[in-house]
Amino acid sequence: MARAPIGLKIRNRRKEIGLTQANLANRLGISASYLNLIEHDKRAISGRLLKQVSEELDIDMGNLDGAAERRLILDLHELAADGLFSNFNLTQAAASFLVGQHTDWARALVMLYRTYLDQEQTITALSDRLTHDPFLGEAILKVLTNVAAIRSTAEILDSIDDLSEDELGRFHGNLVSESRKLSEVVGSLSTFFDKANAKTRSLTPAEEVDDFIMEKGGYFSRLEDAACDLRQEVQGKGMFSESALIGYLERRHGVTVRLGEGGVRGAGISHNQCIFDPDARTLEVPAFASAATRMYEITWLLAELTLASAIDEEIKEADHLSSESAHHRAARDLMEYLVNALLLPYDRFLEDALEARYDIDLLVRKYTVGFESVSHRLVTLRKPGSEGIPFALLQINPAGYVIKRFNLPHLPIPRYGSACPLWSIYTCFQTPSQIVRQLAAFPNGDRFLFFARAEAREQSKYSQTRVMRSIMLACNALHADKTVYADGLDFSSEALAEPVGLSCRLCSREDCIHREEDAIMGEEHQPLRRV
Amino acid sequence: MSHSVLIAEDEKNILEALSFILSREGYAVASALDGNTAIEHIRGNETDLLILDVMLPYKNGFEVLKTVKTDPDLRKVPVIMLTAKGQSQDRKTAEDMGVDAFVTKPFSNKEIIETVKRLLSGKPA
Repeated sequence: MARAPIGLKIRNRRKEIGLTQANLANRLGISASYLNLIEHDKRAISGRLLKQVSEELDIDMGNLDGAAERRLILDLHELAADGLFSNFNLTQAAASFLVGQHTDWARALVMLYRTYLDQEQTITALSDRLTHDPFLGEAILKVLTNVAAIRSTAEILDSIDDLSEDELGRFHGNLVSESRKLSEVVGSLSTFFDKANAKTRSLTPAEEVDDFIMEKGGYFSRLEDAACDLRQEVQGKGMFSESALIGYLERRHGVTVRLGEGGVRGAGISHNQCIFDPDARTLEVPAFASAATRMYEITWLLAELTLASAIDEEIKEADHLSSESAHHRAARDLMEYLVNALLLPYDRFLEDALEARYDIDLLVRKYTVGFESVSHRLVTLRKPGSEGIPFALLQINPAGYVIKRFNLPHLPIPRYGSACPLWSIYTCFQTPSQIVRQLAAFPNGDRFLFFARAEAREQSKYSQTRVMRSIMLACNALHADKTVYADGLDFSSEALAEPVGLSCRLCSREDCIHREEDAIMGEEHQPLRRV
Repeated sequence: MSHSVLIAEDEKNILEALSFILSREGYAVASALDGNTAIEHIRGNETDLLILDVMLPYKNGFEVLKTVKTDPDLRKVPVIMLTAKGQSQDRKTAEDMGVDAFVTKPFSNKEIIETVKRLLSGKPA
């Protein structure tokens, strides 16, 4: 893992408040030469000394822990791994130096790279659209047909002198109607190209939302508070149950939940199977919806009707979200967060998770929620002073599209493209609905416990395409024994861990038989092996 | 007696223009607005040539072509397919099925008349 280059920050702040190296070293109880090493990023600091520095220099710990810098370094590593730069010697050490000494330059580079990727994706999408878009294909056929009719009719009118009045009238009428149809098709084509050339974004909305959630450490205290209050209000002195939710929706929002209705209409048009009619104020829940789906959908509607303002406030304060589309995505992700916070209240859920040793199946049963909800919730257990195990999360579809990702400091999950094919997130597609665990060893010696499961979303009718998703949680091997997924695994021997990497381009295992691409960095550029 | 031509085309204005110019050339023209009607007509009526659009309701042009070219009684009926410019895959598919000629939209009337005349030359009416 890259050391956070915070030395320059300390040096600048020290000078700003008029302290010499000797003064500050004295106050910290360390030698001036040691402080000099820290200020030049030759020594890392943490724990008590970091806290002392923060107090002496009056810098917020959050600014000093180097998390933002570490993320920036990882972004630069990802940039360096791109085949585009294969002829450049972009070392990881230089990335740390750049972030430490010229942070804004590093940010500019990353922003430029993301913009480049975004434009490249846009061009590919547009090119694909032009080649395969069914609308375009159909519109062009219509144009050709209209033009064929106009040409043939016009030639008749031009070349035949003895047309009767009736024939003249008919062919002129045909010309007019074909011209009108042609105008309509060309008009819709023009609209199509206008949309296709809409302003491109400097970052993809998904990336903006990604950064926003990472910056918050995956935990949103405002939403937690709002969810806690609303849950209390709904359950009163009873339970937070389906009937309590239905009663509250009726009383507070005048919404009637109709259980056992809407199944046929909803099938195929909604993955969620439930239909809310805002005019009639009804939520139709089909009879075949599982208990977990019913709870989730009713809670979602409750959150949408009651807590939308909490989400708006959160988004308003976010610096990362520039586009409308990013706002929309963030609102959807935060709504998901709220629903999970309502269904799985923080303190009780943390207590249960610890007791169950993070056994997701057990928690799924206890709370009548889905596997996905529990997995997402486990990642958000980061309330300062009351944290669970730090988990990374990756959720993908079979095409490898990253639906959700959440990094750990030592486990940067690739933002673009796929990760190492040996990760259990991919292998679990072979055994749907079954958790596949893996003790994964990285080339630098880091070991993580991965556990992943693939499952199909609920299918509402036979003809609906069955699309699977897989979700993986990962925790550092240090915490693995706190989970049931480590039971029976031998952590004492490295030989039992499965050798994996981050992705082929970022992996130094030259002898890996699964390698699909050359590594961009040789062994000498890999992070130092920890001992 | 004149040659009989069936035009299978669902765009009424194209159908009307083609029917008009071929009638003026002396052909006995019949028309069909969909694939099923075209097959029904050709099976029940003496037809010397078929002008066939690719996009037809119920049975598309390829299905009609396949029916005609695999029927021993009909396979000798020459078929002109109306295709759109740039639809090279359509042309390949039709060629494999034994189409006799293509006319590409947007076509000129002269092109249609010349192609019909060429395919019917020497064929007894």
